[in-house]
Amino acid sequence: MSSVNEPNQNNETGRTWWRSLDEAVATEETRTTAPGEFPEGASDLLATGDDRRQFLKIMGASMALAGLGVGGCRRWPKEHIVPYAHRPQGTMPGNPEYYASCFDFGGIAQGVLVTSNDGRPTKIEGNPMHSGSKGATDAFTQASILDLYDPDRSKRVTYGGEVSSMSAFKDWAVEYLPKQGKGTAVICEPSSSPTFHRMQRAFMKKNPHAIWVEYAPLTNTNEREALHHAFGGHWVAVPDFSKAKNILSIDADFLGAGPMQVQNTQGWSAGRKVHHGAMSRLLMFETGLSITGSKADDRFALSPAELLAVAELMAFNGTGISTIEGSAELDDEIVQLLKDEFGTPDLVVVGASQPAIVHSLAAKINERIGAVGNTVSYRQVANGSNATLSEVVAAMKDGRVTTAVIVGGNPAFDAPQELGFAEALEALNASVCLSYYNGETSQACKWHVNQAHWLEAWNDGTAADGTTCIGQPLIEALFGGLSASEFVAILAGEKVTDSHTLVQTTFNPNSDKWDPAWRTAVHDGVVANTKTIEKPPVNRKEMPLVSGVTASAQTVLFTPSPTVWDGRFANNGWMQELPDTLTKLTWDNAVLLSPATARALDVKQGDMLRIEVGGSSIEIAALPVPGTADDCFVLPLGYGRKFEGRVCKGAGVDAYPLRNENMWSAPAKVIKTGIMYPLATTQMHFAVDTTPGKGAQDRMPLLYREGTLDQYNEDPGFVSHIGHVPHSLSIFEEHQFEGAKYKWGMSIDLSTCTGCNSCVAACHAENNIPIVGKDQVLVGREMHWLRIDRYFAFAKDSHGAYDGDKLESVAIQPVTCHHCENAPCEEVCPVAATVHDIDGLNVMVYNRCVGTRYCSNNCPFKVRRFNYFDYFRRDPLRSTGLLQVQPDYYVKTQSGGKTLRAMQFNPDVTVRMRGVMEKCTFCTQRIQRVKIATKNAWVKKTDAQKKADPRVAIPDGSIVTACQQACPADAIVFGDLLDENSRVSKLHKEKRSYEMLEELNIKSRLKYLARLTNPVHGATVVEGAHH
Amino acid sequence: MTQQRFTFPRWTNLALPAIVIAGSTAPLYFAIVVAYGFSPQAIDVGYMPEQPIPFSHKLHAGELGVDCRYCHNTVENTQHAAIPPTETCMNCHAQIHPQSENLQPLFESYETGMPIEWVRVHDLPQYAYFNHSAHVTRGVSCVECHGRVDTMEVVYQHETLSMGWCLDCHRNPVPHVRNPDLVTQLDWGLDMTAAERIADSESWLAINNLNPSQDCSTCHR
Repeated sequence: MSSVNEPNQNNETGRTWWRSLDEAVATEETRTTAPGEFPEGASDLLATGDDRRQFLKIMGASMALAGLGVGGCRRWPKEHIVPYAHRPQGTMPGNPEYYASCFDFGGIAQGVLVTSNDGRPTKIEGNPMHSGSKGATDAFTQASILDLYDPDRSKRVTYGGEVSSMSAFKDWAVEYLPKQGKGTAVICEPSSSPTFHRMQRAFMKKNPHAIWVEYAPLTNTNEREALHHAFGGHWVAVPDFSKAKNILSIDADFLGAGPMQVQNTQGWSAGRKVHHGAMSRLLMFETGLSITGSKADDRFALSPAELLAVAELMAFNGTGISTIEGSAELDDEIVQLLKDEFGTPDLVVVGASQPAIVHSLAAKINERIGAVGNTVSYRQVANGSNATLSEVVAAMKDGRVTTAVIVGGNPAFDAPQELGFAEALEALNASVCLSYYNGETSQACKWHVNQAHWLEAWNDGTAADGTTCIGQPLIEALFGGLSASEFVAILAGEKVTDSHTLVQTTFNPNSDKWDPAWRTAVHDGVVANTKTIEKPPVNRKEMPLVSGVTASAQTVLFTPSPTVWDGRFANNGWMQELPDTLTKLTWDNAVLLSPATARALDVKQGDMLRIEVGGSSIEIAALPVPGTADDCFVLPLGYGRKFEGRVCKGAGVDAYPLRNENMWSAPAKVIKTGIMYPLATTQMHFAVDTTPGKGAQDRMPLLYREGTLDQYNEDPGFVSHIGHVPHSLSIFEEHQFEGAKYKWGMSIDLSTCTGCNSCVAACHAENNIPIVGKDQVLVGREMHWLRIDRYFAFAKDSHGAYDGDKLESVAIQPVTCHHCENAPCEEVCPVAATVHDIDGLNVMVYNRCVGTRYCSNNCPFKVRRFNYFDYFRRDPLRSTGLLQVQPDYYVKTQSGGKTLRAMQFNPDVTVRMRGVMEKCTFCTQRIQRVKIATKNAWVKKTDAQKKADPRVAIPDGSIVTACQQACPADAIVFGDLLDENSRVSKLHKEKRSYEMLEELNIKSRLKYLARLTNPVHGATVVEGAHH
Repeated sequence: MTQQRFTFPRWTNLALPAIVIAGSTAPLYFAIVVAYGFSPQAIDVGYMPEQPIPFSHKLHAGELGVDCRYCHNTVENTQHAAIPPTETCMNCHAQIHPQSENLQPLFESYETGMPIEWVRVHDLPQYAYFNHSAHVTRGVSCVECHGRVDTMEVVYQHETLSMGWCLDCHRNPVPHVRNPDLVTQLDWGLDMTAAERIADSESWLAINNLNPSQDCSTCHR
């Protein structure tokens, strides 16, 4: 390492980042062994077994087959063109169309704009007119398009496991159900749909004695309970982070996965833009490490009892301290911080997993600090339940309930174990389940009715601020199937049960086909002026100060999985393979614990632990994550489905059996089993820096640059001092871009990026990227064009060694192809398969590629991905015969070659085959589409207009890459660097802007904006100050 | 009887050089035959599949003078010059030849809503993204790629449509560009001299600021 690149060690922000915990706490000798260029085994054909013999076998067979193939040489197969018989007006075959719709997730409607290519919905974007989306989406919404084409989805109505028909079910619903009287119980998922609620009322009118329960495993029931106590009625809190300047979060992972993620991220990231030298501050107290915690300015890992104490301290600050049973003593440092240094927060948010008392205290604090009506509002929501799930199960067991109707959801899988819901359901003589998969609950029911995908039926919903959304279908139901509203309408004996009429009647009973208001609402996807955030209720009532927190030596905490949520996305390959931002784990869940706890139990990553709660136990692999509170075991839910989908089968461990009626935590006993389990984490894959030893560590602060707000205010150019690079000559012949009309570039803001993964999911959907399966991820063959790097920074202990127990900070950095002007990959390609185009894109020519992988070897950012197998087309991994290749994940995980899966493909992007390299293209297909359209319009202009615009300028913002479009934090900006007024030009010129690996003189077109933090202690990062 | 010694006739003296010549040229000959035989020139040009309806472009586009864009009406706005929907045919054929035997598949399609399955003649590989609108609006006539369709009784492939052929024009577009208003006049310019054509092309290249790209990303994505 040359001296010019040496980071300024005296600089307080020169934190040393580590890719993983092991790396940080390892001895100097082990650290000097660099990770390989490719992960070990990446180049071997097989994960295991005798490679050379297998290779010869396969090569021999291939050559024999090659001999056979030569004979049939002729023009390629006859193709047909199938035009419309009646082309809808305005349709242009080849031009995609966009329709507004809405996706109800977790009881909140996400506004979306769906791309349709020749009648096939292929991509989901956010709806710019929708208040909760403003054009962005989360990863779940992106991935839900793949569910539509899931070959494992339920395709028919069944009775007792045998194929039945929709008409048979309707007969049953009309003949049998009305006679049940009191004996009917309906269990539904929370829904925001006004039509669904209308049908619910119709059903209850017809069956006034029926039981109706809303149940979902991951809801804010504790908050609802607390606010019910406080205000009466049913309320939810809707925080507005864009207005908050001093945020206190008590275990609220508001930037993490969930129905409010997009809205919260938009608000929070708006507050993180430096405005007149100020930006918002986030103080986080939490048990496990969440992505909100990783973005917090000050973060403390506390046990549940300590979290309660924080709420207590804040609530009774200055007005006499009350002591709630179960709360723990806080460190003086935290007390001082809260009482003194942090000042008065202007918004307090509390996580769904906190007991009701904490929510109640938060309402009290928010009222006192004047947040209500300002940074937090309350919205009244419908409450459909007239009983609880445990009451229903009790009634099922003692025979009061004879018929169970389950509308969506999967309670047989995710209801608390101790209720015995699945057994009680199975014992009933009459039961029906509407579900998307013929999964756990459907198999426990007599009738199973296949549910329509939300893109297959009309629906409506309510956004977080109460705005009504209208969702139109994009495609006729592929396999029949009913929407939830249609299903309940049939059960209620409604005359009209088609979703279109139902939704339109809810909108306005007098509306007809030509009603302009209806047509506007359908077009926009939202009904104008229906926001219902109300004036906050006054007369708050206090809740009894009972915590429900029980002290125990070891505690398990349940969290939603950021990839499969409560299990509903378990059969979605994109979500399964999406590396969790903080653990980088794919295809599995693991119990997360602190490094100190791991040492105490003598476990390493992958050690199986037996976790016992009450009478139940599970065995699950351990994954130490710094920043987790000691003796707390964080268990993500949703994995280990018993449903035998080709994707979810065998993925992860079901943690629901440990759950009891306190949905979020339980005292536990944890034992090491001594068995090891392979966890497919992508953390050490595609490491930017492969320099061994200390050099790599020195370079980390150059790769990921950051500073505090005070530092920035003092010297806005501090970023360039972190690693100064003198102007040097290129060893390559520099690329000239003479005559270029455009110069594409990108900027990524590390300050606002939260690592929510929606860009990665969007890239998957846009660019026909395959999933590869767990065994292939284990050998480093994942195909994500855009990856999110995560580094940890640790404090030093008294001996000056890094202490894995003291997490200082977490760095999150999206990395994709930098489109270097002097691209190292191009210099080494022997067949010119990767070259530059005039606009500065580093393009990959799949047809020229012969698969030497030299380019990937020479890529400093390690963003190139190689197709080791033909993941989409053929069946490269044969489980039998001469060409046997063992892992059959391909057949298991992808419906390769099947038309259903292929319907999702973006027709503008080539589907790559085996043996070629691929990488980010800056969405060249989107660039070309806009370029062609702009020039088409330009040619038709008058001569004078042409003279005025000789460059054929493309307006800034008209080309949006898939990752940029999905990003809720507005962290990714793409555009033309030749246009001085484009957003990306301005961001590249900002003082915070830096080039990664600038010292290589490769002239990246992608620049980062250094992260700014706003910690309480200002410019200095106090080492060892944090837990 | 005296046994005469057998002697080869004189002409056999030529056999050896003949074998040598044949032996040395044959591989070359085969190489040329195979190379030509597999070239798009031999395989693709002239491809003339039978269509479900014997539609005559010669009659419609040539003799009746129907503009290309009457049927292929998306050509200026999108990548495909879409095959018209059945409805477009029925605009005329509801009145003209309503009893025709040949048109039965058309009437059937109109009534049932099921499409007519035309056979694709000009078949580019899936990884090549050709955009009709980008060419037609800039003055590249249909005739440049499709030939004189207005004289074809049955449409056949006129050009190789190979990448080299595409690049020929992208490198030197001069005689292939014209006034964008005249792109569908397939017989335009036949009476002009070569020099006039070149001059006309050059003027339109300048007017529309045309500079065809040879970047990979232009056609491959």
